[in-house]
Parts: sequence; C-alpha cells; structure tokens
Amino acid sequence: MSVKSSNHNVARTLGWPVANKLAVFIGVLIAAIVPFVISGSYWLGTLTLALIIIVLNQSWNLVLGYSGVWNFGQLAIYAIGGYAAGLVSLHTSLPWPVAMLIGGISAMAVSLVLAFPTLRLRGIYVSLLTFGFAEVIRLLIISDQSGITGGTFGLSGFKGFGLADVESQLRQKYFYWIALVVALVSSAVFYRVIHSHVGNGLIALRESPALAAARGLNPVKYQIIAFGLSGLFAGFAGSLYAFNYGVVGPSIMGLGPMTLFVTMLVVGGMGTQTGPILGTLLVAVASTSLEKWPEVRLIVFSLLLLLIVLLVPRGFVPILGDLKKRVSDWVAE
Amino acid sequence: MSDQIVQLMSSTLIQGSLLAVISMGMTLVYGALRVLNMAQGVLVMMGGFVGYSVTTSLHASPWLGLLAALVVTFIAGVLTYYLSVKPLIGRRGVDFEMTAFISTFALATIMQNLILIGYGPRQKPFPPLLEGSINLTTSVSITYHQILIGVVGIVSLTFLGLFLSRSRYGLAITAISQNLDAARLMGVPVGRAYIITMGLAGSFAGLAGILLAPVYFVSPNAGDLPLLQALIIVIFAGLGSVKGTLYAAYIIGFVSSGVGIFLSSTYSLPVLYAVIVGLLIVRPNGISGRPQEVRL
Repeated sequence: MSVKSSNHNVARTLGWPVANKLAVFIGVLIAAIVPFVISGSYWLGTLTLALIIIVLNQSWNLVLGYSGVWNFGQLAIYAIGGYAAGLVSLHTSLPWPVAMLIGGISAMAVSLVLAFPTLRLRGIYVSLLTFGFAEVIRLLIISDQSGITGGTFGLSGFKGFGLADVESQLRQKYFYWIALVVALVSSAVFYRVIHSHVGNGLIALRESPALAAARGLNPVKYQIIAFGLSGLFAGFAGSLYAFNYGVVGPSIMGLGPMTLFVTMLVVGGMGTQTGPILGTLLVAVASTSLEKWPEVRLIVFSLLLLLIVLLVPRGFVPILGDLKKRVSDWVAE
Repeated sequence: MSDQIVQLMSSTLIQGSLLAVISMGMTLVYGALRVLNMAQGVLVMMGGFVGYSVTTSLHASPWLGLLAALVVTFIAGVLTYYLSVKPLIGRRGVDFEMTAFISTFALATIMQNLILIGYGPRQKPFPPLLEGSINLTTSVSITYHQILIGVVGIVSLTFLGLFLSRSRYGLAITAISQNLDAARLMGVPVGRAYIITMGLAGSFAGLAGILLAPVYFVSPNAGDLPLLQALIIVIFAGLGSVKGTLYAAYIIGFVSSGVGIFLSSTYSLPVLYAVIVGLLIVRPNGISGRPQEVRL
C-alpha cells in the first residue's frame, strides 16, 4: 500500500468503523436547527454546555481512552485554557477567536509540560501524578491573593464573544452555534487523527507498549502528539466555557466535575469515537432533569457509574455496535 | 527560634502519626488487592460521624464513640469490598486497577452524599478524647489530645506490625501482597484475607476519623483532605510498601508542619504536591516501591 493512500483506505483495510456520511449529515443538520425548534433558553443552555463538554471529553478520550494514559489532570488543562482566554479578553482588545486560540495554545503548552514526567511512569502512578498536578493548580488559584485570577470567586468581567448588547434569546442562539462549530471541528480533527497512522500507533502502544516500541513506534513521540492535541482542544473547551458564562473559577475543576465527566466517558465508552458524544449528551440532559434535587443527582450518577463499570465496563457504544452487527448479520442471512 | 524548632518537632511527630494512620489502610489494600481505594477518605469521615452520633444520641463518652467507629468502619470497609471490588476480580478484557479505581471512587461519592442527605452540610463539634494541655516552653503548648494522637498512632501501627508479622491472617495478607499465586498454592485463603484487609483498612480510617474529629470538626467533606494527604503519602512511599508508608508519613508530616509554621498552612498542600511531582520524576516508584506488575 502506498504511503500516500488516504486515511479512509487505511481505516477500511484495517476493518475500522467508517463514519456513515448520511447519518453524520443528518445529525449535523438537526444539531444546527435545534435553536429554532427548542423554545426557552434553559434547554438551549444545557445543550450549549453539553457541546462544550463534548469538546473536553473528546480531547480527554484521546489520552485516556485511545492512548491508555491515566491522565486525571485534564480538568486543570481545561481551566488553564479558560483562564488564559479570559485574561487575554480582559486585558487586551484582541478579537475573541484570537483569545480562544491563545487559550488553546497555553493549555497545550501546559499539557506538554505534563507529558514529560508522565512518560517515566506507569499505570496508577500516572493518575496520581496528574491528579496531584490538577490539585496544585486548583489550590494555587484558590489561595491566590494577587488578584490576577480572582481567587475563589473566579475571573469575570471580560467581554468574551462581545455579544453583550445582543438581545438575550438571540445571544443564547449565537453561543450555541459557536459551541456547535467548535464541537464539529474537534470531532472532525479527532476522527482524522484516530483514523490515521497516529491513532493506530497510539492504540498499538496502549495494547502492547513493548511490542509496539519493538516494531519501531516511538512512545515519546506518540505520547507528546496525544498530549499536545488533547491539551489544545481542552483549552478550546475551557475558553468556550469562559466566554459562554462570562466567568471562570476554580469550581470548574475538582472532584465533583470530574465525577460527572468520567461518568459521561464511561457511559459512552472510552476509546470509541461516538462514545464521548453520546455519553455527554445523555448525562448532560439527565443532569439538567435532576437539577431540582441536587443531593440526589450525584448519588444517581455515581450509582450509574458504579453499575456501568461493574456490568458493562466498555460502555454503551461498543454494545450498540455489537447489537447492530448482530442485526445486520441476521439480515444478511 | 528554638520555640519554633520545638513546635516543628512536636508537630512533625503528631502529624506524622496521624498521616500514618490515615494512609496505612490504603497501603494495606493496595498491597493485597492492587486496588487504590478511593473510598478511604469517606471512611475517615464516616468514622467521625459514627462517633458524633454515638456521643450525642446516647450521651456516651467519646471513647465509646471510638469503639463504635472502629466496628462500623470495619463493616463499611468490607461492604466496599463486596460492592465495588469483588465483582471486578478475575474479569477478562478489563483493566482491573483502572476500573476498581473508578468503582471505589463512585461508591465513595454515593456514601458521601448519603451522609450529606442524612446529616446536612453543617460542621458538627466533637469533644476531644482527653481535655487539657501542657506547656512545652513558655510559648509552645500542646494539648493532651495531640499527645494522644501521637501515642495512639504509634501503638496502632505497632499492633499492625505485630499482626502482619506474627498472626495467621496477618501473614496471609503479607504473603498475598508478596506473591499472589504462590500464596494461593500454599493454601492461603485469599478471599477471606481480602475481606480482613479491607475491614482492617476501614478500621484504620475510622480511628483516624475519631482522632481528627475534635480538630477539624465532623462534616461530610471532612474526608476530602485526608484522602488527598493519603494519596500523597502512598505515592511518596511507593504503593503497597508498609515500611515506606511509615517513613513517608513522618517525612510528609515534617514538610507540611514546616510549611505551616514558617510559611502559611494554605501552601502546605501545593508544596507537598510539588514535592511529589519532583520525587516521581527522580524515582518513578516512590521511595521504596517496586515496579508495578500486572495481576488478577
């Protein structure tokens, strides 16, 4: 096979699932016209937040699911992206896409710094190191009294998307579409990456590091690519969050949000393309429905997480895939 | 200056003993089961709540609360094993350590929120086990409760050491953490040893909870800080190493009291995590850990 052959051909010859073009088109179309169908900014706000978290979870999935590196510091990277974009928006007059880009690049830089020490570690030590790193960032922000980050109360007062004088219903719709575009870009990028030799290499290194390294895959190179790309999109997600809500504080990281996001990833299935998307949508909608009972909400999600880890540890997407295959086999018979 | 040194030494001894009690349970469980028990912090908090309930509803002495806490957290530890660890043992195609990490974490969140619903978020006072204090120098004083923490810590750790090296089930736990397959072939009842390990770890957490309660109050979030501290210590020590945990607890106790006395206690956790990140870069398996092996 020639080196220049398209990624799609690689995917097909390896028997990977290839996106169904029609289904993707219909999905995007529905997502784009949702703001006209849904009345009330409440559910639109939920969906906007879900789109932001989809970007975050996809970026996390590349490291946690595909590379098998137990990085639990992703929320710190996400927050750093938000803070960087917020600070740029607050102190300069650069347009918001530039601020978002700076947020993404700062997050990527931090993520790359985190990649080097984790390269030396294995398994559970990686999760402890990265979680410790995230806690240091969170505690430093909380105890910051210099006024740069705003401490416990968070950073606010920046102009964000610069839509302050737009009528609120319409503004909510703009927020939704901006988040949708970023989520689509992130889905497309991660689809391409995972269906390329990079994705292939990451999976090989996850399944058998020694064998993959012996076959000439450089673990350092692949892990740095994974961390860099993952950090970039986590930073984008953080900037989106900051600009959407006009505030970014230390409460966006920590154990509570992490439980929720891990539940989303595990429900959908880590190391799958559609898993983070479906899992995030499902859990975000359920989470909003349970908003009236905040104490019960965490119990329900943790119970869900526990049951899924015990009963279907691979998540729902692989199970749906098996089911679909069985049905199509049965139809073919 | 000499006052500060006296303060540093006494604080190191007290904090170190407390940290050793908090993290010993995690080390035992990781050694025998290769599970990082994320419910350990919640069990510490639960110990405090059991003590609180017993002392307020029965008007009993805090010592009875301590006894009740040890029993209840033993049971809670065993329940953690049955609900979140046992169903995962021996499953194929699943990364055991990762899934057990997530499942114990999920169970911890459930228990914490159940207690939050039952008792409410407010902090509750708890009487010290011993009243009074003693002056070491003119400006440094130390309460009897703090002395008790040091004594109880050292006594319970000595008891643990004797249990692990002399008793039947202690030897079983040690054997399992050294080599699971060999232990099985020698006829060690692995399942029963797992249950005892988890229960014992729970009791250590309950003990820590009662010792902490008069200092930090009893509240549903009271387990978060101990969990973070225990994580720092078990990584510093090298997972599963009992001796390493003991050294690590006193080293970390020294560093965190030093930061608290000479800098400010708000920086103590960030400084500790920075120390850990530095250590892991130099020694990826902690001070006395061995490289991780795949099991179960």
